[in-house]
Parts: sequence; structure tokens; C-alpha cells
Amino acid sequence: MNQRKIEKLFAAARNEATPAPSEHFATDVVRAIGCEKQMPPAETFLLFDQLNLLFPRFAWVAAAMIVLGVATDFGLTATGIPNLSDGVSQVSAQWLLTPDGF
Amino acid sequence: MLERIRAGSADDFAEIIRQHQARVFAILHRYERDIHKVEDLAQETFVKAWRALAQFDGRAPFEHWISRIAVRTALDHLQKQKRRQNEIGLSELGEDALDWLHSGDEKNELDARSAAELLNLAMRELSPADRVVITMQEIEGRSVKEICAVTGTSSVAVRVRAVRARAKLRKALEKLTNI
Repeated sequence: MNQRKIEKLFAAARNEATPAPSEHFATDVVRAIGCEKQMPPAETFLLFDQLNLLFPRFAWVAAAMIVLGVATDFGLTATGIPNLSDGVSQVSAQWLLTPDGF
Repeated sequence: MLERIRAGSADDFAEIIRQHQARVFAILHRYERDIHKVEDLAQETFVKAWRALAQFDGRAPFEHWISRIAVRTALDHLQKQKRRQNEIGLSELGEDALDWLHSGDEKNELDARSAAELLNLAMRELSPADRVVITMQEIEGRSVKEICAVTGTSSVAVRVRAVRARAKLRKALEKLTNI
């Protein structure tokens, strides 16, 4: 493509009509600015703030899991089912530490 | 009027918008073809102007100041767009533009809309900064000094960029012709 053709392209593009704004454009902008004025300033996001906010929940979940584990252990012992430590001892005695084992 | 706007007068700011909206739309339409997006960008321009009104010292006309904000808004928009689309597609062009592109006859005329669409498509190959320089210089007929004021670069940098941008644009148009 030669320079003259490019110049013609620019010249033609210069004459393009501009799209007209909608009738209520100015009012819409002013309304948007009004909404912005009413919005509270955005708070800075800090990781520690978020962690502080979540910490009580983390603590309660952790405590609930510990209580659930202890209760399950007591429950299993009471019903006669070997608890976790007994089960592990049994498995190691019967299978892993026999003379034929490792 | 500016003092009243600074004091919070919405009606006066609406009046300022009405006075300058045509100019802002004209600038933004050079960089974005979709009229809905142009309207969004124009809104963004005026909101930015409203936020920065305290910085306007009145030494230059308000029109120059708002034009600068509009070009910078367009530049930001192009930079966002560049990340998403980087391909040239002939399907976006009308038949007139395609005929003109492939025609060897230089006397063949092209209407303004088709010319703008063709340029818009070819300019996607340019960086946003190159596009701003070439648009301001070749389509809007702005001086190097005015481009420097908007882009915040030196006149040498603008001239060098303009030469490179023209070469890139020529290549992009040739690429379109050969598709």
C-alpha cells in the first residue's frame, strides 16, 4: 500500500460523523457522581485485619474438632470397639513386627 | 461557574458536561467503535474530571483539560483491550472497505465510516501509545506540542514514535490487503 493511499484513508476517516450522546447523558453522569459521593471510602485490604476477623471462627472450629475426636474415642472405648491406639498396637503386633514380617 | 462546581453544584457541572460532551465523544470514538462503550468511557472521563477539578488551575481552557483526560481514558481502555484482543479480523469490515483495500485504483473513494473502520482494524496491530500518537497527528490534526502535553513525553519521543507508528500501520494495512 503506497503513501498516497494511506493519506486518502486518513483524509476520509477525518470526516466521520461523531456519535451523539444520549439526551440524558449529563444527568446520568451527575447522578453517578452523586452515588459516588454517598459511598463510604473504600477500606484498605489488610491480610492481618482479615485474619483477625476470622480468628474467633477458626478457634471455635478447632475446639469443636478436638471435642469431637475425644468424644468419639470415649464412645468407641465404651462400646468395646478397640480405640485408635489399641488398633494400631494390634496391627503392628500381628502383622508388622512378627518374625515373618520385616 | 467552576467555583460553584467545586462547592458542589451538580447543575453547573451538568452544564459543563453538556458544553463539552460532543468533543469528548469525538475523541473517544477515534479509539472505540462501539457507541455503548464510548458512552461508558465518556462518563468515566467526566467523573475523573470531577474528581480532579481541584487540580484545574484555569490557565489553559477547560476544553484542553477535558480533552487530555479523554485521551488518557482512551489510552487506559486500549491497554486493557490490548490484553484481550490482538488479532485482525476481516469479517469486521464492510464490503466497501474490502473493495477499496484490494483495489489498485487510487482514485477509488472510500466513505468516512468505512475508512475509520479500516483504520481501527489496522491500528489494533499498534501499541496503545503508538495509536494515540498517530490518531492525534493524522486524524485529529494535532501538533507535536499538543501530543506532548497529552502523552507527557518529549517532542523527540513523539516524533520518533510517529515515524515508527506510521511504518507499523503501513505494514498492518498491507497485511490486511494480502489476507
